[in-house]
Amino acid sequence: MNFKKTVIPAMLSLGLMSALVGCGSNGGNEASPTSSPSPSVSSSASSSPTNASEGLKGKLEIQYFVGGYGDTWWKETISEFEKMNPDLEVVQHAGPKINEQMKTRWIEGNPPDVVYIDGDGTFTEKLLVQNEQLMDITDWIATAKNSDGEPIKDQLIGQPRSYDGVNYAIPLVFGVFGTWYDKALFQKNGWEVPKDWAGFLELNQKAMDAGIIPYIHQGQYPSYIIRGLLNSGFVTENNGDPAILKDINALKEGVFKSAPVMGMLSKLTEMNGKGYINKAALALNHTDSQNQWLQHKAIFIPCGLWLENEMKKTMPEGFDYGFIPSVTQAQGGKFVAVPYTNEIGIAKEAKNVDAAKAFLQFVFTKKAAIRWAETTGALMNLKVDLESTQASGAVKSAMSYLNSDNTIVASVDNEMDPTVAKAMDDATAALLGEKITKEEWADRMEKAAAAARK
Amino acid sequence: MIAERNKKLYSKGQYTWFLIVFIVPTFALFCLLTLYPMVRGVYTSFFDWTGTSSKMTFIGLDNYRKLFDDEIIPRTIQHDYFLVFWKVLLILLFATVFAVALTRLKLRESAFFRAVFFFPNMISVVVIGVLWRFIYNPNLGFLNSFLSLFTEKPVSIAWLGDSDLALAALVPPSVWAGIGFYMVLIMSGIMGISESLYESARIDGAGEWKQFTRLTIPLVWEQIKVSLLSIVMTTLNGSFLIVWLMTEGGPDNSTQVMGSYLYQVGFKQYQMGYATAIGVMILVLSLLTTVLLNRLLRRETHEW
Amino acid sequence: MFKRMLRVSLWVWGLCVLYPLFWTVTTSLKSTGQFNLGHAWDLPRLPLQFVNFSDAWQKAHFGTYFLNSTAVVLSAVVLSLLLSATTAFIMARHPFRGSGLMFGLYISTMMIPTILGLVPLFFFMSSLHLTNSLTGLSLLYTIIQVPFGVFVLVGFFKAMPGELEAAAAIDGCGIFGTFFKIMLPLARSGLVTVAIMNALAYWNEYLFALVLVGSPEKYTVSIGLSFLQGEMQYSVEWGVLFAALIISVVPVFLLYVFFQRQITAGLTAGALKG
Repeated sequence: MNFKKTVIPAMLSLGLMSALVGCGSNGGNEASPTSSPSPSVSSSASSSPTNASEGLKGKLEIQYFVGGYGDTWWKETISEFEKMNPDLEVVQHAGPKINEQMKTRWIEGNPPDVVYIDGDGTFTEKLLVQNEQLMDITDWIATAKNSDGEPIKDQLIGQPRSYDGVNYAIPLVFGVFGTWYDKALFQKNGWEVPKDWAGFLELNQKAMDAGIIPYIHQGQYPSYIIRGLLNSGFVTENNGDPAILKDINALKEGVFKSAPVMGMLSKLTEMNGKGYINKAALALNHTDSQNQWLQHKAIFIPCGLWLENEMKKTMPEGFDYGFIPSVTQAQGGKFVAVPYTNEIGIAKEAKNVDAAKAFLQFVFTKKAAIRWAETTGALMNLKVDLESTQASGAVKSAMSYLNSDNTIVASVDNEMDPTVAKAMDDATAALLGEKITKEEWADRMEKAAAAARK
Repeated sequence: MIAERNKKLYSKGQYTWFLIVFIVPTFALFCLLTLYPMVRGVYTSFFDWTGTSSKMTFIGLDNYRKLFDDEIIPRTIQHDYFLVFWKVLLILLFATVFAVALTRLKLRESAFFRAVFFFPNMISVVVIGVLWRFIYNPNLGFLNSFLSLFTEKPVSIAWLGDSDLALAALVPPSVWAGIGFYMVLIMSGIMGISESLYESARIDGAGEWKQFTRLTIPLVWEQIKVSLLSIVMTTLNGSFLIVWLMTEGGPDNSTQVMGSYLYQVGFKQYQMGYATAIGVMILVLSLLTTVLLNRLLRRETHEW
Repeated sequence: MFKRMLRVSLWVWGLCVLYPLFWTVTTSLKSTGQFNLGHAWDLPRLPLQFVNFSDAWQKAHFGTYFLNSTAVVLSAVVLSLLLSATTAFIMARHPFRGSGLMFGLYISTMMIPTILGLVPLFFFMSSLHLTNSLTGLSLLYTIIQVPFGVFVLVGFFKAMPGELEAAAAIDGCGIFGTFFKIMLPLARSGLVTVAIMNALAYWNEYLFALVLVGSPEKYTVSIGLSFLQGEMQYSVEWGVLFAALIISVVPVFLLYVFFQRQITAGLTAGALKG
């Protein structure tokens, strides 16, 4: 790989250069949750006073969504955790449809112990919190140490979300949404990677002239274009101030009619009006549309950092991934990167809280984080040195954007209400299908927000 | 009367015991697993309840008020009746025509067609959904490839992805899967018509078409009526399955029907109280429709 | 002219029905690579990918789903037949005060949308620990087809000559003996019809299985198929999906081939209830 030899995300760059491989392997058996004073619920009831790892018994049910990141890391990590805890039976509930498959168990109050929340706009941390389904881990996470004896909280890139001062889950995956481009094709045609909106439009036109409909998106799931194009656009339209995203997620009254939002929608409808956005994409699911992009039938697509790993099976020979965090900034304006995280938490009704906590402690180690980078090409939410890893080129370039002074990183610490998020998906699909105008989009969103605020 | 006579066949103690053993287990299970959930469904509709917490708050008619405020509800109702209308029209049309063809034409291949046409009725809605989703797939699907044969540029219509087309695109699978059964039903009616009636119609100089409209249709009116009611009922009560499997109500709720919306509101958005209120609405609408149709059809038969 | 048009329309529709089924079979024998190239209607290239079927059976767990479905269907068919035949026998031949009302109750639930009770049913089954259990599903399946069974079988028992029961009773068969040894065998054709119809309904059932069964190892074929379709968005193996589809249709097809007459009769009987 001829990318920069060392890529260390800015937030991660503080020290931590120690031999990583070594510390993972001896961390195993001696992992001593004694050092993690777990003040809450379980310690009195359970029979594992000093060494939870040794005493872990019974069953531990883990639910995890399998999407772009695949399940290699999960299987590997869980099997190591099992080896350390021979008396513990770990049951894995996994798959691309697992959120839907497990839904009824959550509803009837018989959830798994540990849940990784990803993949589905109708199964979010916010929803689980609203329905009181996640365990309050505020006190525990404040002091919890990982299996290597390091405090977990200090090492996180993105901190746990706070709901009125309460933490319910820890971000496990860290990434950034943006626009991907067909790098090899750009090189072949001598196209420059766009630095601003004007350049972006110009490239779209060039592609049109070359007979390619330039922009494709995962139409069946409008959240991709919302998160990959609109969100950064709202920020650039707000003079680079990410506060607009917080207002949107907080459903502040009038925010959907505000100038930044309408400004971005104008840009979107402008693109759409010129025919830059593939109309048939509305019917495509994510893999179909991503495949079209891989087949050079489009030059841009919005996505998060899992894209390369997700598509590695169908990637054509010689394809090269390029990533830019935003395309909507004015000339000379800074890039805007909108990060995302995916959380892991413990169910409120978990039956094996000790084992669940021990699993989290096991997961938030450097060794696990490096394996994550190696198996998914993307980033776990833990500060590690990725020098030795095979994080993909595009992910490393995404990271260099995050580290650059020319990028505004819009970290957002609140999530949108799931019902409003659904309304936003629907309205955006309608807007892209030219069934409604942007004013109607705004009206709809204000109404949905008003209903949710009630 | 029968009872009295049959009762005497057995000794009295044994008889009572026998009645209990034969009637009670079935009825008890039926009450528990069919009646109770329905009654409970009506009851729950007066509560605010997420399903996940044990907290159920009585809110009176608020869920029903919400039905009127919710902008998606009128659309779901409209979509349901859209499906009802087109299914009734197309299924009855095809089923009647095919039934006539298979009975009156006296073709050698009649039995074959009858067996073939009926088969889609046998397969599950899941299979139909999977199959037709693939037929409609914009890139790989059969339909667009077929249409592309006749156009210069490859057709890439997003059948299920366009909010103007998606609902209409749900009609063909339902018709495809529905015709056979109603055809057989109508065939049974036609086969009950005495050949001599056709004989005398021919003598009176009635052509094929006249025989069809003046003789066949009136005489199988009962079967057509039953078919119509059955299509309406099964659509109102069950159309959400095909919707759920093919579009999940999308895009932009353009295929959302009452049942799929109930499922979404309940099992995806955790508003169980509201979901049951939608269930009650479905019940009311389907009963009203049936009663109304029964009235209408009865009058029509009199006028005939 | 009229005749020829009719005949052409028959052939056209026959093609519309048969072609997708034929196409399913060819598709199940294609490799994933063949999908992205060429037309949808291309015949599969050699070698035929029979591996899709073994993949569906093992890797996609359709072997397990198939067994689950079979277990649920068989147990529910037997139980449902027993429960509805006993009730139908009483209602037809030994009516008691209120039996007419009870009959009306059974029949009227056939008109009520099942989805009305879906949410409470789920929570009720959950409180009995019957969710996520094949026993629970089988029990529910048993009862949902009882009204249909009662409806059809009442007709059969009513049509039987009264003397038979009398003769059996006088021979000292006792009530249970009379029912099981004389009456049931006589109603055999009705029982077969009901059994076949129920088996089909159970095998194809989707909604209750979706809501009641959470763990993949307990999935029935139709739930497995619907989720496999969802997963295909991630791992694009259409051949496997269509192989699974065929596996799920085979039992239905066999039932249809062997019992076509009973099935059409059964459906017609069910429809004429209204």
